[in-house]
Amino acid sequence: MALISPTILALRRDPRLLKLPPYLSALCLFIGVVWLCLLPLNEYSRHTYISENALLPGQVHTYFGGSEKNVYNAYKYEVQALVGKDQKATYEKLSDIFISAGLRPARQKYEYYAAGNTYSGENVYAILHAPRGDATEAIVLVAAWTNMDGDLNQSGVALALALARYFKRWSLWSKDIIILITGDSRAGPQAWVDAYHDEHTSPLVAPLPLKSGALQGVVVIDNALDHPFESLHIVYDGINGQLPNLDLLNTAVSIASGQLGIGISLQRMWKHNDSYQERLQTMLRGMVSQGLGHSSGPHSSFIPYHVDAITLQAVGDGGQDEMAMGRCVESIFRSLNNLLEHFHQSFFFYLLMQANRFVSIGTYLPSAMLVAVSFTIMAIALWIRSGRPPSPKAASTDFEKEKTEMEVVRKDGMTAIIPKENLTILERQLFLPVALVVAVHFFGAIPLYVFINSSRNTLPSYFVVFTVLNSLLPTVLANTIHYYTPLTPQHHLLLQSFSLLVLGMFLATLATVNFSLSLFVGLLSTPLSFTGYSFSYSVDAKEVFPSPARKYVSILVLQLLSPTVVVWAVCYMWGVDLGEMLAEAAFGWKVNGLWTQVVIWCIWWPAWMLGGVLVLV
Amino acid sequence: MVIDRRKAILFTSAAALRLVLFFTFPSLPVLLTGRVEISTPVTSFKRLQEGLFLYTHNVSPYDGGVFHQAPLLLPLFALIPPSLFSPLTAILYIGLDLLCANALMHITESGESGSSRLFTSPRKDMKWDSIAVASAYLFNPFTIATCIGRPTSVFTNCAILYAIAQAVSGKPITSMLALGLASYLSLYPALLLPPMILLCYDGKARETKALPNATFSTATYLSVFSASIAWFLHLSKILTGGSTAYLASTYGVHLLLPDLTPNVGLWWYFFIEMFDSFREFFLGVFWLHLGAYVGALCIRLRTQPLFVITTLLGIFAIFKPYPSISDTSLYLAMLPLYRHVFPLMRYTFFAMATILYATLLGPAFYYLWIYAGSGNANFFYAITLVWSLGLSEIVADSLFAVLRDEWEVERPEMKGKDVRQI
Repeated sequence: MALISPTILALRRDPRLLKLPPYLSALCLFIGVVWLCLLPLNEYSRHTYISENALLPGQVHTYFGGSEKNVYNAYKYEVQALVGKDQKATYEKLSDIFISAGLRPARQKYEYYAAGNTYSGENVYAILHAPRGDATEAIVLVAAWTNMDGDLNQSGVALALALARYFKRWSLWSKDIIILITGDSRAGPQAWVDAYHDEHTSPLVAPLPLKSGALQGVVVIDNALDHPFESLHIVYDGINGQLPNLDLLNTAVSIASGQLGIGISLQRMWKHNDSYQERLQTMLRGMVSQGLGHSSGPHSSFIPYHVDAITLQAVGDGGQDEMAMGRCVESIFRSLNNLLEHFHQSFFFYLLMQANRFVSIGTYLPSAMLVAVSFTIMAIALWIRSGRPPSPKAASTDFEKEKTEMEVVRKDGMTAIIPKENLTILERQLFLPVALVVAVHFFGAIPLYVFINSSRNTLPSYFVVFTVLNSLLPTVLANTIHYYTPLTPQHHLLLQSFSLLVLGMFLATLATVNFSLSLFVGLLSTPLSFTGYSFSYSVDAKEVFPSPARKYVSILVLQLLSPTVVVWAVCYMWGVDLGEMLAEAAFGWKVNGLWTQVVIWCIWWPAWMLGGVLVLV
Repeated sequence: MVIDRRKAILFTSAAALRLVLFFTFPSLPVLLTGRVEISTPVTSFKRLQEGLFLYTHNVSPYDGGVFHQAPLLLPLFALIPPSLFSPLTAILYIGLDLLCANALMHITESGESGSSRLFTSPRKDMKWDSIAVASAYLFNPFTIATCIGRPTSVFTNCAILYAIAQAVSGKPITSMLALGLASYLSLYPALLLPPMILLCYDGKARETKALPNATFSTATYLSVFSASIAWFLHLSKILTGGSTAYLASTYGVHLLLPDLTPNVGLWWYFFIEMFDSFREFFLGVFWLHLGAYVGALCIRLRTQPLFVITTLLGIFAIFKPYPSISDTSLYLAMLPLYRHVFPLMRYTFFAMATILYATLLGPAFYYLWIYAGSGNANFFYAITLVWSLGLSEIVADSLFAVLRDEWEVERPEMKGKDVRQI
């Protein structure tokens, strides 16, 4: 150690080493992106497998069929007869059906206000007490009255009712089964699961009159079709990008495709030929959905409570009848019934590229972490650079070359002459940069507050106004700062350093919770590392403040990648109405506890704003 | 009495900020009180309320193994009318924070950090004034979070700061009484006794301009300290109905670590993992480790006893049995007194970045472990290691800087040169 350290200490001051960080940072970004693109290859992804032995998927014979088909048809007729009736009659009828099946129904009213709209309805549910259990654990079968697209979930609800009646006849259940018909697909499940865990804060959400034990698993049936379906579409993203345990998904996939021969699709990839491109596309769609973190089905609301849940959606026109879907659910429930412990064995962090291929967190996390690390590397480099004293006045034009102060250094019997400037470190003026970084991050609360609390009608106009203001704000802020205290080169470097440090830190933390969001925000913020003369390591004003040409290029890039412009671009690309999207985000925050807006306005937007100010000062 | 205008503005704004946080976000105190980073089993406000409930209902608060705090806190909180409990405790804790800041200002104004009796730093003019030091304490996010989370360690911190403030202004008796109170409340401040005696001695010597008798002074200080502790223990015995059962569930818990609730320290995970047969041995080793710094630092830094206390506070924040960010906030409150050695510190940025990283990742990993269920205990423990690493970087680096500062007085020709290990 004693031998190594002087060498390392000498390396510390090596100018080549000081020039390295920006290249290293760029390399990290490059590797991060390439890494992501490599994931779909066979060498980097793995075949899925059932990790929890107790599940035994597809090992039981399924009996849902035969005369149950008539029961199902009868229930479907009842459900269809309720179309156009008022809500009260609907819930009365559903309760009656539960009673006739020998189950005791319970009802819960809920009402939410978000973005000026009211979301109200009622959940009807019944608990089938386990003949062989002690009511400490329960599994849930959910069918929403309307699905995510707002269509009547006619076959789904009828199937859930038929299954409730069918399950009642079996004596093998060791966990309670809760059959839940929610009023809609987003507010209803949230109200129910909140109330189940006594976490409902709003007085407009009623408490649950009947409860059972800890929820072990949830399966949602979504079948709005009136004809036989072709394949099952499994939806698995939870709120804030949290995912259900991979074992639940694998169980559903192996039962549907292995036992019953039903095709499986993920992330709306209706055609999947197992090519590299399609795997990548599935993965990226999964990442976008995870990054947005919004509710993607009734199952999403359960996942934050550490209840693993998936939605089975019937899609296409084909040869599979509803009874096959029923058998699939029956078999999944038999597997869940076998569980000895809560799902814990398999992965909670994964990216799926096909129903039976995945990458686990150990393989994919480095890409987001490398992106986050690239900001931290630049922050460290800028910090070191800011501590260097300015070089003496450029002497090339002078005839009398000013003599640099030299310092004789003896080390290990060798002597070297080093310019003194390399050895001294300047005191740093920290207060202004730290105060600015903290203040701008707090300002993020303003757009957050506005976009959460405005109503659906005013949201688009507010956003237009904000977009315009936002494009001018860096200039205004830069001029204000310049007017009161002109920034020194050191201030400039420190401000960029702290801004990048905070960004890198938030992104690294976010990557452990919501990988995709962290990666997207990180990639969209990459220009922030490279504005100004990031490849230089001098602290002269002309090497720190960008020249006009650089300035204009940087402004253009930053304006194109501003959070507001990105939101517009995303709406345009997906053909989504801007107001719809903002209203959904506000709904997510108020009802589901969605954090994506906080990340955008309190992490990304301040970093972008500081980047803009740095270019313009 | 003339009230300094800047001080008034600082104290008003700090109090206003805390009041706003307490009363406009009513869920914030509840949230922070439950955080393991703030509330440990021996300082938690929730447990204090539990103990208080039992105490006011004439049940021994130490039955049931929930309450591990000093008995004298109970009559103090019992004085607060239950109908106004939360607003009045908020005001009490804000008052305590301001008292701490006031003590810090006294310590700064004494100039003890720059020039003690035996050593004057060549850099002593490069310092922050008392307002800057106090605002660094009052607006430190850790201090604010601690204030809102209301752990009883704030009382200990306040007593320690008062002990130091009295010692540097040449009032050894009150200093020893304050240290006695701090030790009575949470035991570990007793380890500060040796450097505090040195500090009191130096303070007295400076006050009287003559060297007092060392043996006599030490004996006096020691006896005042012991007498104050004996008095507090006697009062506690009367309060708990004449039994000494409270000793086992207060100091016994500090010493034997029966409650392994996670916290930011290093002990809980270690003792969860350990086989029970080794428990006693490692308890001894851990306590010995904590105590070992006291003698060594007192001898090596005899000339700067205030810095010994500062460094020990940093070491306690890392290595004591139930540390929390309240201990860190106390250490970070003392550190700005050594503004003059900051330029000699080498890893400030890395240490600060490490601490910030740990501050963000700690709650995230705790969330993954406890709420999301997708992580496990190792996640949070790994971050407490990083946190401790960041703090020890600061402790070691500031120690290096102070030693270097001393060394440059002895060897002026080495100023500005690199040191290296031979």
